[in-house]
Amino acid sequence: MKLFVTIALIGILTAGSGFAHDFTQGSIYLDHPMIEEAPPNAPVLGGYLSIQNMGDTDDRLVAIESSAAEKVEIHRSTVTDGIARMQPMKEGLVIPAGETVWLDNGMHAMFVQPVERYRAGDEVPATLVFEKAGRIDVTFKVEERSTGSGAAHEGHGQ
Amino acid sequence: MTGLRRLRGILWLLVAIAAAGAAFLAFGPRFAPANAGEAIYAKPFSLVNQDGAPFTQADFLGRPSAFFYGFSHCPDVCPTALAEMSAILEALGPDADKLQVVFVSVDPERDTPEIMKDYVEYFDPRIAGLTGELDEVTKMTRDRYIFFEKVPTEDGDYQMEHQASIQLVTADGRFFGTLAAEEGFEVRLAKVRRLIAEG
Repeated sequence: MKLFVTIALIGILTAGSGFAHDFTQGSIYLDHPMIEEAPPNAPVLGGYLSIQNMGDTDDRLVAIESSAAEKVEIHRSTVTDGIARMQPMKEGLVIPAGETVWLDNGMHAMFVQPVERYRAGDEVPATLVFEKAGRIDVTFKVEERSTGSGAAHEGHGQ
Repeated sequence: MTGLRRLRGILWLLVAIAAAGAAFLAFGPRFAPANAGEAIYAKPFSLVNQDGAPFTQADFLGRPSAFFYGFSHCPDVCPTALAEMSAILEALGPDADKLQVVFVSVDPERDTPEIMKDYVEYFDPRIAGLTGELDEVTKMTRDRYIFFEKVPTEDGDYQMEHQASIQLVTADGRFFGTLAAEEGFEVRLAKVRRLIAEG
């Protein structure tokens, strides 16, 4: 029954949100999942979004699943002393109560071996799995890569 | 009274130190400008470009160049750096001919010339995408003080750690400076314009 209510609620919320491109379930609010378009044969794609925990207990993003790739890993990328490094976040990603965590510069969802070429405008389905909020189906929108030159890539919050 | 006299003495001492410092700066040894170093980019190497053709130091020396070291299994830093270089080439307009942009794979075991071709030409066909024998990539990068390291991951796969900044190089192969992702686009463009003007 509770699940049914949740599903109904998602339906109402997503229907109401229109173009806002966000997803809510339980205490978790997911905004603007997007993937940056990559070269045709790129073996990996970077996915980004913001995750807000509106509840009063911490939650944890434990996995991301997608039929669009062989696997999806949650990574932290760092540039320290001029060296770029990437580490899988094996313990998942804690979303503290009342806070927003951005998978943006620094953290990303890495889609490994995408099953096909995705271009700007395409939509990539995925499921974010949270310890408490459960599984949340989202759509990552493929967008042009930002170059900082002022063109393209608007609305991707930082 | 002695306290005041001592204070005055200390102040004069400080004036003397400041004067000595100013004199040293004005007349002392000149520090070499950053681009007066050794022509590390002129050191020989032999790799292949995205068409499978040999590519050596002779293929870019003679005009300024910008080198980036990365790999295709890299979701953020590398494609972003290449996208930024392609935006710079676009912003340069006709002056883009005066700059050679080179992407060197530090993961030549996976990055074949075919992969490099699709990869670099997606960003800009004017970018040279180099790969080759691992030993040769290692030598080429060590000669240029570029760090990269293969780091195994738990699932039996691996990641590459690598130099993140773009290296600007003068026409005669000397290090000129870097472009970093944190810098704004206009800053990077200004640096490249200065390289083209001076380098």
